[in-house]
Amino acid sequence: MASQTNLSTMKRRIRPDGPEKVTGRMKYLTDLTFPNMLYGKVLRSMEPHAEILSISVKEAKKLPGVRAVLTYKDVPGLNGFGLIFPDQPVLCEDRVRYVGDALAAVAADTEEIAEQALRLIKVEYKKLPVLDSPEKALLPDAPLLHPGGNILHHPHFKKGDVETAFQACTIVVKETYEVPRQMHAYMETEGGVIVPEPDGKLTIYVGTQHGFKDRFQLARILDMPELDIRVVSSPMGGSFGGKDELNIQPYGALLALATNCPVKIHNSRQESVRAGLKRHPMKIIMKTGVDKEGNILAHKVKIIADTGAYATLGPAVLDFAVEHAPGPYIIPHLEIEGLSVFTNNGVAGEFRGFGGNQITFALEGQMDRLADQLKMNPLVFRLKNLRKTEDPGPLGQKIAPTNGALDVLQVIEHSHAEKAKGWKQDTSDKWKVRGTGIALTMHGGGLGIDRMDPAGGRLSFTKAGKIEAAFGFEECGQGLLGVIETLLIDEFSCAETDIKIVIGDTALVPVSGSSTASRSTSMVWHALQRMKGSFRKEVLELAQLLTGITADHLQMGPSGIWLKEEMTAEGPCITFKELAERMPSGRSINVHTSFNFPTSPDATVGGSHYLYAFAAVMARVEVDLLTGRVKVDAIDQAVAAGPVVSSLGYLGQIEGGGVMALGYTLMEEAIMENGIYMTDNFDTYFIPTICDVPCKTSVEAIEKLVDGDPFGPRGVGEIGTVAVAPAIVRAIFDATGCWVNKLPVSPEFLLKSNRLGEMRPWI
Amino acid sequence: MDIKDVIQSAELPLMAPKMKLTLTVNGVLHRLEVAPVVRLLDILRENLGLTGTKMSCEIGRCGACAIHMNGQLVNSCLVMAYQANEASICTIEGLEENPIQKAFLEEGGFQCGYCTPGMIMAVKALLDTNPNPAKQQIQEALSGNLCRCTGYGGIFRAVEKAITSLQEKQVTNIEE
Repeated sequence: MASQTNLSTMKRRIRPDGPEKVTGRMKYLTDLTFPNMLYGKVLRSMEPHAEILSISVKEAKKLPGVRAVLTYKDVPGLNGFGLIFPDQPVLCEDRVRYVGDALAAVAADTEEIAEQALRLIKVEYKKLPVLDSPEKALLPDAPLLHPGGNILHHPHFKKGDVETAFQACTIVVKETYEVPRQMHAYMETEGGVIVPEPDGKLTIYVGTQHGFKDRFQLARILDMPELDIRVVSSPMGGSFGGKDELNIQPYGALLALATNCPVKIHNSRQESVRAGLKRHPMKIIMKTGVDKEGNILAHKVKIIADTGAYATLGPAVLDFAVEHAPGPYIIPHLEIEGLSVFTNNGVAGEFRGFGGNQITFALEGQMDRLADQLKMNPLVFRLKNLRKTEDPGPLGQKIAPTNGALDVLQVIEHSHAEKAKGWKQDTSDKWKVRGTGIALTMHGGGLGIDRMDPAGGRLSFTKAGKIEAAFGFEECGQGLLGVIETLLIDEFSCAETDIKIVIGDTALVPVSGSSTASRSTSMVWHALQRMKGSFRKEVLELAQLLTGITADHLQMGPSGIWLKEEMTAEGPCITFKELAERMPSGRSINVHTSFNFPTSPDATVGGSHYLYAFAAVMARVEVDLLTGRVKVDAIDQAVAAGPVVSSLGYLGQIEGGGVMALGYTLMEEAIMENGIYMTDNFDTYFIPTICDVPCKTSVEAIEKLVDGDPFGPRGVGEIGTVAVAPAIVRAIFDATGCWVNKLPVSPEFLLKSNRLGEMRPWI
Repeated sequence: MDIKDVIQSAELPLMAPKMKLTLTVNGVLHRLEVAPVVRLLDILRENLGLTGTKMSCEIGRCGACAIHMNGQLVNSCLVMAYQANEASICTIEGLEENPIQKAFLEEGGFQCGYCTPGMIMAVKALLDTNPNPAKQQIQEALSGNLCRCTGYGGIFRAVEKAITSLQEKQVTNIEE
């Protein structure tokens, strides 16, 4: 695959977890086994919405090899979980609200016996009407899914007066956009082992994106002190937001406590699809008006999100979509309304991009339609309305000054000029048409204002002479270990072998917040900025004590402490190992920090952000006029997110995010009918294969920040997924003359469009 | 449908009669007693503790459990014990250090790493039979292996690099 990127010229480092991964030696948490280990299974609801009349576990308990069968009666603490509102029963008592709802948990000597036991559990249901869409759930006579009704969250934002402003507009575009329920499709399904310890404590070896939060939730369910629970949460075979909420942990924990044996649960793919989170399907109605010069005057937005049966982070996802509805454009009159609605569909929640992908598809669609009607070049139209360095954020809040929007757009302008040329004409196949499109986005990092968003870390000099960095983050595959190693080497000029990294274990790490919201890289960097001075000072003072050379003449380097003037010497004047061995007893070097993710000083809307990353995307497509199939030939991304820490990691996040978004645009949809998943594995839910991806990609990282910016690298975990869909859809329009409002793009829709094949000038 | 569902819907007794299974895994001969319909995937992971072979879709669509059986690339979730009798199996643990793994490390051919063992077994199967594949042949050979993290960019670059290093190695060997 031809790839152009300025990242490839940067220094590359092999990830610390790489050798174990390419040799298969890496033990994922679902690979662990323990003596006397039992296998756990969870009985999920047969009905998307029903009353539970009875649950009989008698027969299941009698089956030889079954060691425990648990129902709601066996939950000692709070029978509920949820990152914000614990509204999802651990084990349902009187009602099920979706097909992922759990009714019973079984532990047995083998997985087969556990599965057999599930079949022996008798549940009597009384079916209730299935609310399989937000529209149905909002009907006045709809049954209420929760005591507070069927509306989970209903945020509003208003600035100026849109209705009056629309009257002054020469062009107004009003469209409805629909985006699908996307599955994370991490290759490792949820699972792990829960181990009761001899002292009555519990160790949870299960992947998650926030170990301390799992510990908090589990303590509440198990009625145990938090300190009696240890959560080991790394490594993971992918998460993308999907393992942020609790999944199998409560069942494994209850079964382990009931049997006093280690219990392994590893979801099958079908169970994972059924019970796991998805990206919120949304319907977004946007009305946007411009004056005759092309200045956007008014933007009215209504977002309806299908949040499924339970809350998890549904409110925050919607707040994010509301915040990003104006994107990087300056719009004087705004009215944004969001509505997150409970249904009997699968639970929607946290997923890479977090509401940004949905809203950006709609917003950029509006921008392209307006530019088309104005007969303006879509790039010129965007530039005309673009935010500048000191402009406030989307909801008027002060944000860290950034010229990212213009920077990325300019790079993509070059990319477009170079790659669009000739592309349309170069085809000799009269049944194939080609086009190009661009799109732009800004994306907030961190959880936002008024949310608990703590960060922190610890640096220690160990007895073995290692520089130990401990963070409460997880390695989901994103490359956090590589980031930590690179930053430590940059800071202390040490060697890889001098470093010990500790993450993903609540017994060993400080609170650092969640490994979500593009925040980990950023927070590791911030923590090191706070700790590096004291840590270096203490290490050098120790070296001064042991060598008699004043600290001023010493510096840290590979394997130990070096004389500043003699960095070319054969070795350090004292090695880290000697330093540790000769450290006076009672002396130790431990530097801690804790702080919060930076937030806007004047933001008034909960969850709105202060630090943003930007991306612009150029997509090149070919559409088959006979089949309606779309082939993406190239995706170029320009990303402005501050300095690159790990070049391979950065490239991988943007390329991988881009392809995940290609799937979102062209093929992925977790279809539900009457509350039942129709696509329950990779034979019906298609994610991109190596045959579906573009041959020509380019990732350009714009590292420059405004002068004096103190915030360092922004995370890039999400930004690569956000603006790909609108760029592809604009390219389809360029090729075919068809505007697409609904994802994934349907070949049938394209074939039925009477505009298919109508050539449009790019302008 | 999941093979396990098929097996279970047939209501086989849990204590199905066992067969004597002989197979060579990574050069080591194993004699086991297992039910004839136990999946090779489970034999490797559970009976032999070779967890480098991963479980993901269990219906032969993702390639996470890909291994070599008698020199052929197969999804071990679709092979039952009786079909593997007398077979010679090579898993990721059986590979000697090779330029494919090195290229995956250097080119970012993995992130979470969960698809990686299967992916590397698929690349090895390709390059063992076709040391200089065209781009389309690479795509065909890896089309049964899903990766959700990389977007395949790093995998492509790793395969290309592996091809080059294997060719260089061959040239060196000949010169020697």
